[in-house]
Amino acid sequence: MTTNPTNHEEEKLMNENYLWDASGTPDPEIQRLESLLADFRGAEPALVLPAKLVATRGKFRGVFVHLLSVPRLAAAAAILIAAGLTLFFALRSISTPDTGPAWEVANIQGEPQIGVKAIAANQAPSRLHVGQTIVTNSDSRASLSQADLGEIRIDPNSRVRLVQTDPNRKRIQLDVGTIHAAIWAPPGTFVVDTPSAVAIDLGCAYSLQVAPDGSGSIRTTLGWVGFHLNGRDSFIPAGAICSTRRELGPGVPYFEDATPAFREAIAQFDSRPQDSPARSGALAMILSEARAQDALSLWHLLSRTTGAERTQVYTRFAALLPPPRGVTRAGILNLDQSMLDLWWNSLELGDISVWRFWEQSASPQPAPNSQQLLQKKQSLLKQQP
Amino acid sequence: MAALSEIRSSRPGPAAVNLSNDTGGPDDSLVRAAQSGDRAAFGLLYARYSRMVHGILLARVPLSDVDDLLQDVFLQALPRLGTLREVSHFPGWLASIARNRATDFHRRGKPNDEFDEESVSVQKEPVAPSTRHSSHSSTEAHAVLDAIRSLPDAYREPLVLRLVEGMTGPEIAARTGLTHGSVRVNLHRGMLQLREILGRKATPPTGGAL
Repeated sequence: MTTNPTNHEEEKLMNENYLWDASGTPDPEIQRLESLLADFRGAEPALVLPAKLVATRGKFRGVFVHLLSVPRLAAAAAILIAAGLTLFFALRSISTPDTGPAWEVANIQGEPQIGVKAIAANQAPSRLHVGQTIVTNSDSRASLSQADLGEIRIDPNSRVRLVQTDPNRKRIQLDVGTIHAAIWAPPGTFVVDTPSAVAIDLGCAYSLQVAPDGSGSIRTTLGWVGFHLNGRDSFIPAGAICSTRRELGPGVPYFEDATPAFREAIAQFDSRPQDSPARSGALAMILSEARAQDALSLWHLLSRTTGAERTQVYTRFAALLPPPRGVTRAGILNLDQSMLDLWWNSLELGDISVWRFWEQSASPQPAPNSQQLLQKKQSLLKQQP
Repeated sequence: MAALSEIRSSRPGPAAVNLSNDTGGPDDSLVRAAQSGDRAAFGLLYARYSRMVHGILLARVPLSDVDDLLQDVFLQALPRLGTLREVSHFPGWLASIARNRATDFHRRGKPNDEFDEESVSVQKEPVAPSTRHSSHSSTEAHAVLDAIRSLPDAYREPLVLRLVEGMTGPEIAARTGLTHGSVRVNLHRGMLQLREILGRKATPPTGGAL
């Protein structure tokens, strides 16, 4: 990275104090370059990142249900599925794979189990292979690490299964318990399946908890996380929390420093049936208690309300944080996605565009072939003076 | 948009960290605190070093990817902090992660990233919204940035940190872990070459490709 001076001209240039520490007589040319290039300067730090998501479950379920409408076929399918599941769980309990892709198991305390085998800190290094499950009891804990991914700490009384560890996708399943993830893999690479939502890492550190009944909650400490189930999305930035329930999916995220009344109202809103008086009352409390910071929650409420309630949310949201240029009342009330995205981005909690990109792309874009690359380069070279 | 700044300043987490102490300071203590799991300390390190990392990345990757990679770098550094034995090496260590991340970016490629590092110098970036310059001067700014990026590695990085990020030579040395002498020499050599390139571009071509 470094070189040494070799001629007098450079020594002469060394006298340019303005270039060195902005002292001395300003050099007009350098000043002009500074002014020109200032727009490229990094903005103030904000730990936010875009996301990735693949949603195909709904499509396959639709085809499956259609096929099962034929009674005999349904009966045959049921028998096959039952037999297959029995065989699957039997094989899984007898033998767990110990070859192939694996993650390191470290920071072992107590005696967690991988499959039926107990592991301990004083034994040979342990690895968790794809398909294997690590279980901690009340006295044990461990962490999983992978060079391209990051580290996942597993708290006591947890059960984690390694589902996938491809270069572009790392996936675990948290059945119950708590994990703390610090991820440096590209956004969207690390996915956690839970019984009530899928957590998609957007470049961050977070804690994810799953209760025995399958409900869960996530707390983000750096960056942001996407929570997804059956077409319902929640985005949880640093400092925010979001709960999720079986069948219902992710609820409305909120910042931890919201008022107790606001937090309680969010919990009520998430748990009550739509159109119930209790839910309407909770919404009224949310809107009256909301601060400018709580725009995070109000944005999510837009798509979780209808009719007059959505209008109320819009009115309060716009009063706290006027919509940016290009966002209209009518568009928001009609849930125009581009306008919702614009308004989200104005919150500066994360760029939603990459989330949308991943959401819509069922498969990665093919790499450009060499001919395309050549043509692109040639066209660029033609633009040079 | 006063409400936005209100949100940013009052939101819990690193974004709320006071950025005013941007030069010098007890970084060793911060690194130790961050190593022990202090998130606020890590947030402060992020605030202090993000300009440096931004500049290192901007010298090497397309403008549109810099912000994402900036976060990648810190999120790579966070869990590895515990492996850093000598806390005073943090600046150079972080700079290395940033350079490696930029190299990795070009090696792996992206769906829309069809260019190798060599072509970065001629790639036309999307013009960022500017409140200070006309479209003409914005085009000129991109041309100057491209010219800096066409310089050798050792020159383009200090020049970007100096001319784009607004850091002084001593700050660059402190933040990157390089010596004052190295930074000073590379700044001046880089400026010399940049002047030559800009001078050539200002002169009507007399034939032959650049």
